Amino acid sequence: MTEKTFPELRRKLTSGWWTSNRHYVQYMVREWTSLFVALFSLVYIYGLSLLATGSRSAFLNLLKSPAMIAFSFIALIFTLYHAVTWFYLLGQVVPVKIGKTTSKPWQALVANLVLLIIVSYLVIWLLVLR
Amino acid sequence: MDTATIRVTRYRPETGPEPFFQEYKVPYRNDMVVLDALNYIKANLDGSLTYRWSCRMGVCGSCGANVDGTPKLTCASFLHEFKGRTINVEPLPNFPVIKDLVVNMEDFMRKLVKIKPWIIREKETPPEQGEYQQSAEELERYQQFSSCINCMLCYSACPIYGLNEKFLGPAATALAYRYIEDSRDQGKNVRFPIVHEMEGVWECTLVGECSVVCPKGVDPMLAIQKTKILGATNALRSILMPRGGR
Repeated sequence: MTEKTFPELRRKLTSGWWTSNRHYVQYMVREWTSLFVALFSLVYIYGLSLLATGSRSAFLNLLKSPAMIAFSFIALIFTLYHAVTWFYLLGQVVPVKIGKTTSKPWQALVANLVLLIIVSYLVIWLLVLR
Repeated sequence: MDTATIRVTRYRPETGPEPFFQEYKVPYRNDMVVLDALNYIKANLDGSLTYRWSCRMGVCGSCGANVDGTPKLTCASFLHEFKGRTINVEPLPNFPVIKDLVVNMEDFMRKLVKIKPWIIREKETPPEQGEYQQSAEELERYQQFSSCINCMLCYSACPIYGLNEKFLGPAATALAYRYIEDSRDQGKNVRFPIVHEMEGVWECTLVGECSVVCPKGVDPMLAIQKTKILGATNALRSILMPRGGR
């Protein structure tokens, strides 16, 4: 006699799966903030194209507009959040081993932020201050 | 003695296609875990309740369930931690359910075998010539990844696996990495194509919950990212170096 088999219960993840747990929410926020990094880049490339085609005043007006200032402020906050979370992850994934001690994720976060500030300052110095 | 209210998912395909919850009241002492409550229910209240268990001490990896919304070993979840609340006990998410809390683990078993979890040698040396030796530092490189007990909690916590069951997933990759990093192993060329195929490590988007729920302190998220780094450097080397850098 062959055994009788019964159907298995298949459960699908719903579109709101990421709301079920604090870590999933943090993950989703981290991923979505990258959208603002991309959006800012696109807007900035558009601004640069204005500048390149000789519309210096149009470029400056774009930068001065309240909407652009508000957007830049929001994009800055989200980009910082994105950078901080990824710098921390970098420390988790590639810890540096010196002698017998292994680096902690927050140390990678601090080191990368310091590096970011130095590189940003160098770029500003090269392009503007020099 | 306090009383815990346990709400267990029942799926009984022989009587109906829909799962439902059933509540049980279980008297408990402070040293009792969710698995003890399930055993109490089976022995005293409802003999039809179906679930897997074996060692009761976090070694066998068979008693995993979604306890209060999080994948856990029921033998390691104390009832007093949920004092005053109803404890939901559901089958592990992302796996098909066979009955009540019992899930089908065929897919996971296939993936475990797929990554060839054994030491591969280009040429085996006969046992008379002694063991393949290894230093303490070499052991340390992979030791934590060999602690996996195949409980599948990491797969249940992984939304990528939940959305795409072809994804190789956390535990299988951690085990693959365990052998890739083993100084006695010479099977990199065999395992690399397996872990780097379309649904291999590159499917992972670093949610990281696999490492949070692991009851044995294994960090599959780390193993997956390390495997990505190894694959990327290997690919670069094969492009940039003469004879593929070998």
